[in-house]
Amino acid sequence: MKDVNSPIISLKDIYTAYEGAEFPVISGLSLEIGHGEFVIVGGPNGAGKTTLLESVNGMLPLTHGTAHVCGMDVSRNGDAVRKKTGYVIQSFAFDPFTPFTVENVVMMGRYGILGCFKKPGEEDYRATEESIKLLGLEDISEKPIGTLSGGQQQKVLIAQNLAKKPDLLLLDEPFSNLDLCTREFVSDILKDISSKGCTVLMVSHAFDALPDKDVRIVVMDRGCINFDEFCHATEVKDIVRKMSAVA
Amino acid sequence: MLEFLIPNNIVCHAVEAMLFASIACSILGVIITQLKISSIGFTMAHAAFAGAACGMFFGFDPRISAVAVSIMIALLIGPLTDLAKMPEDTVLGVLFGMLMAVAVFFIAYMQYVGKGFNANSLLFGDVISLYREEIYALVIISFMAVIFVVLLYKEISAIIFNKKVAEAAGIKVKPIYYALLFMIAFTVALSLNIVGGLLLYVWLITPAAIAYQFMFDVKGLFIMAPVVAAVISVSSAVVGLEYSLPVGPLTAVVFSVVFIIAVIFSRKRKVTSRKH
Ligand SMILES: Nc1ncnc2c1ncn2[C@@H]1O[C@H](COP(=O)(O)OP(=O)(O)O)[C@@H](O)[C@H]1O
Ligand SMILES: [Mg+2]
Repeated sequence: MKDVNSPIISLKDIYTAYEGAEFPVISGLSLEIGHGEFVIVGGPNGAGKTTLLESVNGMLPLTHGTAHVCGMDVSRNGDAVRKKTGYVIQSFAFDPFTPFTVENVVMMGRYGILGCFKKPGEEDYRATEESIKLLGLEDISEKPIGTLSGGQQQKVLIAQNLAKKPDLLLLDEPFSNLDLCTREFVSDILKDISSKGCTVLMVSHAFDALPDKDVRIVVMDRGCINFDEFCHATEVKDIVRKMSAVA
Repeated sequence: MLEFLIPNNIVCHAVEAMLFASIACSILGVIITQLKISSIGFTMAHAAFAGAACGMFFGFDPRISAVAVSIMIALLIGPLTDLAKMPEDTVLGVLFGMLMAVAVFFIAYMQYVGKGFNANSLLFGDVISLYREEIYALVIISFMAVIFVVLLYKEISAIIFNKKVAEAAGIKVKPIYYALLFMIAFTVALSLNIVGGLLLYVWLITPAAIAYQFMFDVKGLFIMAPVVAAVISVSSAVVGLEYSLPVGPLTAVVFSVVFIIAVIFSRKRKVTSRKH
């Protein structure tokens, strides 16, 4: 059983550096996030927000410090962490004729949990179908993903990560390609999964559609956290703007 | 194996070789074309070439040294692309140059000291004078390739789609990707002296390219490519042997013609004329 009282993310004095770089991008960062929290990460471009997300799910190795996520040591059990953690990537550019339909791509979210040599079963098809419905992609589920608009592709990637039924969902600027209505739509979905107990850690600059409960704001600059507080959704915009300006 | 269908032994062996090699290569070819690493074909061809030249020079059986060097290079490709932080294509190009240089060095030196070297079978293969063991080897290779793709279908398709997305899904991308490159390189190397570099290259690229004109998902590609490859190869082999035409080049030409026809009738180029 998972211990609900211990944090789902626990970073202790972590450093993350890219190969070939002179200085680490994340330096001496510590952060604890509890189960079910809704966290928004802000900060200027190049602050290290994407790097933070990829340190949390173990896609980038730490040079110092320890990271525990979903009760596991990320450095040692990166794959296991990623099976319980959704990650919606920021930048993607799919070839218009890449041979994958929307349904294929959503199903891919299940591949890691399934493990090698196993075929998707009834449960996987059900999870795939549910998240396609949840994001309203039924009409385009047979289309090749490359022929969709950027916003539609973004929704497919969100659906893919929801099909995984993750304990923790990382999102990297998920609203950047979405129109206003879709932002609200996706935001409602995030609010919904958050209320069902999924922890959400989202990098975003679009603050016009947030769940109307208390959210935690983390503002980063140059690889460190310089603001970290709970506040109401309506205050988020001002706080992030102020903090980013000071930086 | 197919003696009950084709009484003539030579024709039968040739058809078997064409069938099995075309299936293995075209299935792996789908992966190669999607990952945009088609240069793995000529890099491995030259690995075998360099290995054979080395073997000749040092007095080993050139077939064995060709396979040995190919396996070494096959193991090297994956880790090297990671270490060098460069696209696979660049690394394959570097290896190609190196292997070509090694081969030419030994051949030139052997000519200088008066030892001959014949690379014809590596370049063109020889489908009509195969030993039974070589056919068995091809059968084993193609089964291995098919089983590999079937067992790791999920992982391979996710890696083809996007390595980052695959990794985020919890797939062990690195070991599987290395294994994938190894499997491709290994198949290419072992099929090479049986069917030759020319046919091999056609089989690696063209069936996948033909299937790509009609299929919108990977599963379709993995099914259509080997079917197209098998049908064209076997029928070209039968016709070629019947009329005493060179089988390899004939097959390659037929493939290219089918490819052109496929492009003309491609589903992907069709623009709708509907107004509603
Ligand atoms: N693959 C990479 N290799 C080297 N440096 C990188 C790489 N990706 C990002 N960086 C550097 O890391 C810093 C933080 O990047 P990132 O985490 O993407 O910022 P953010 O997401 O906050 O805009 C930037 O200065 C960037 O130049
Ligand atoms: Mg970023």
